[in-house]
Amino acid sequence: MSAGPLAIPSVAARRGAARMSAVSLALWTVRFLVVALVVAGTIGTILKDRYTTAQWFEFVLFGLTIGSLYAQVALGYTMVYGVLRLINFAHGDIMMCGAFAGYFVATPLENSGFLEVHPVLGMAAILAAGMVVSGVIAVLTERIAYRPFRRVQGFAPLICAFGVSFFLEQTFRGLFGSSVKSYPAPKWEGVEFHWAGLSVPGVDLLVIVLAVAFMAVLYLIVQKTRMGMAMRAVSEDGEAAALMGVDVGKVIVFTFALGGAMAGIAGVFYAFLFKQVYFYMGFTPGIKAFGGAVLGGIGSVPGAMLGGFFLGLVESVGPSLFLDGIGIKAPYELRDVIAYTLMILVLVFRPQGILGEHMAKKRA
Amino acid sequence: MKTKLLVACFGLALLAGAWWPGPARAATSGPVTDPLGVIRIPKGAPIVIGGYWVLSGPDTALGLDEKRAVEVAIHDIGGNLLGHPIEFQAEDDQCDAEGGQTAATKLASIPNMVIVLGPACSSAATPAAPILWQAGIVDIGTACTAPSLTAPDRKATYDGFVRTVFSDNDQGAFDAHYIYDVLKLKTAVAVHDGSPYAEQLAHVFAGAFTQLGGKVLSIEAVSPTEVDMHPVLTRIASEKPDVIYMPIFVAASAQILRQAKEIPGLQHALIYGGASLMAPDMIEAAGPAVVGFHIGYPDVSPTSMGKTYPKLVSEYTKMFGEAPISGFHANAYDGATLAFKAIAAVAKTDSAGSLYIGRKALRDAVFATTFDGTSGPIACDQYGECAKFKGAVFEYTNADPKTFKIGVNPKKIWP
Repeated sequence: MSAGPLAIPSVAARRGAARMSAVSLALWTVRFLVVALVVAGTIGTILKDRYTTAQWFEFVLFGLTIGSLYAQVALGYTMVYGVLRLINFAHGDIMMCGAFAGYFVATPLENSGFLEVHPVLGMAAILAAGMVVSGVIAVLTERIAYRPFRRVQGFAPLICAFGVSFFLEQTFRGLFGSSVKSYPAPKWEGVEFHWAGLSVPGVDLLVIVLAVAFMAVLYLIVQKTRMGMAMRAVSEDGEAAALMGVDVGKVIVFTFALGGAMAGIAGVFYAFLFKQVYFYMGFTPGIKAFGGAVLGGIGSVPGAMLGGFFLGLVESVGPSLFLDGIGIKAPYELRDVIAYTLMILVLVFRPQGILGEHMAKKRA
Repeated sequence: MKTKLLVACFGLALLAGAWWPGPARAATSGPVTDPLGVIRIPKGAPIVIGGYWVLSGPDTALGLDEKRAVEVAIHDIGGNLLGHPIEFQAEDDQCDAEGGQTAATKLASIPNMVIVLGPACSSAATPAAPILWQAGIVDIGTACTAPSLTAPDRKATYDGFVRTVFSDNDQGAFDAHYIYDVLKLKTAVAVHDGSPYAEQLAHVFAGAFTQLGGKVLSIEAVSPTEVDMHPVLTRIASEKPDVIYMPIFVAASAQILRQAKEIPGLQHALIYGGASLMAPDMIEAAGPAVVGFHIGYPDVSPTSMGKTYPKLVSEYTKMFGEAPISGFHANAYDGATLAFKAIAAVAKTDSAGSLYIGRKALRDAVFATTFDGTSGPIACDQYGECAKFKGAVFEYTNADPKTFKIGVNPKKIWP
């Protein structure tokens, strides 16, 4: 005698429901605990009143500055993922290539005094070098390393991306040595703006404003140009786009070039802010930017921007705001922990990322 | 039943494996019997000596300087010991635990590895020394100064580790004395990067500074690869310290130096670093912010070193075309000399010309050997501490990396 056809699914469903409720309970407990920790820490910090308004402002400003760089790099991840469904782990190293290119232009310009006298022209030349070199290297990685994997399913393309990352790092190490190179510091970048008792370093302001401007241009390219429309079409459904006459190969190359150029700009800004250039410098910001892209909703251009800024802000403000109040001794040791914990928390609430739902609805 | 029996046997085997102290390696070879085994080097074959230091990345100068000093030591004895050529194999440990583990595993796997020199970093020495000693290989540390490596309560797995460099117990107390008693600065924030060297030194300093009457406002931590120090510096600024004590490595230190100038409230705080920052790379990485930067360091002025130190510097300069690039070359040279003397003391040659070295005997000889080294007197205590500390304070005076010369830039300012 066998059970009726409906009996088996109903038992499975009951068991599934029981399992789901246990998982849900655990997830809700985690959510509750993290939110409780955040709230308790924030209240504790406010009661302690350790930081002045100017210092909170600085935390936010530093967060926005580093966040703008993460956002720029995250755009490359998200665009490539959109058109190829590939996580290009070498993208942080593409940023490093741009930083090196900028360094080799900035140093002679600074030594000759040109960068001091003509800051706009000098910066334009440095940024152009970063954009071109990163863009070209990104296109070359696509042509040489990723194209053979375009129709390959599974982990092979991802492993190839790791290979490209190591290749770029070790090539630059071999070519330019493993020591840290110091980026020039023109005098004009030390300018500070003062307003209502708050001071804003000129270089931070410059980086945030230019990063936002470049991201706005990229957004307009994606939204308003024919190539941008083709990118979005390929992102929605590559095969259907090809049937409609879109040259998918060209779109992919353009996407790599655009993402690479944006990474080049981020590399130049990163080096200008932190003054150090070395072969391994792209790894950490690359991972953080990838986190930002996932947080914002991988595949979503505005999501990548938002995710990058969010991660930068949490990294900068989070340890002081959430951990000081609960008596953690060295909160900035946990800077990455808190950033990624909050990222996971957001993803637990919204697995598709902050702006991921919009894309999913559109696709549906 | 049969399966159960097999499982039971397997379980017993696992338990026995966990309890068993390892295969007895006692061996007799030629004229030597040794409880840890005997190295046999046939006539004409090389005596293999290993080394591991940081040889890439921002702290390269620290390790390369020591590797070069060992090469000078080998050159000084004519490249031969007891009629056998010396084969020197150096590995890059990248100044971290993973690198140390990899380097030690690789060196331990080389047949007939007699003894190992290095490393420069305590992060690398901490996992590496037990791996080497497990293979019966003595490790002579040349710049790794974390107190735990030669502490009285160190584990038996470190029995094969000695060092020809001082302990940071002395460095931390010296720094606290200079800052509190000489500079009359009363409040400090210590910053470490989680490495055994930095964390232990930061805590030793904090203890000594507090004992003198100073106040340690907090002990902060940063990641060695962190670049954005603004938030942590803003936090430090809220405590208004007189001094930031940061015994960390080049990349992170340079970021702190540069960015502290931009943080309101920290422009006038003294920033004081540790021995890992005596390198031209520090000037390159920190740029103009390096000027005025103080570091606590062993006193390497010729008057404070051993009598043979000027000869080492002259030989080093002749061999590599530049003066020593960091500050622990004398310690590394002494480490190599200690190894040669200990090998010479225990090695025995048979009638066929083969050389035999007992591993336990070599370890005991290393601990028993005493001599006047280039860095000062060398005599190991029972926990492997073979050097004495004599400190100095140095200050960087020029932002051009080409001007780096120990004693000139940075120049010795105290005592």
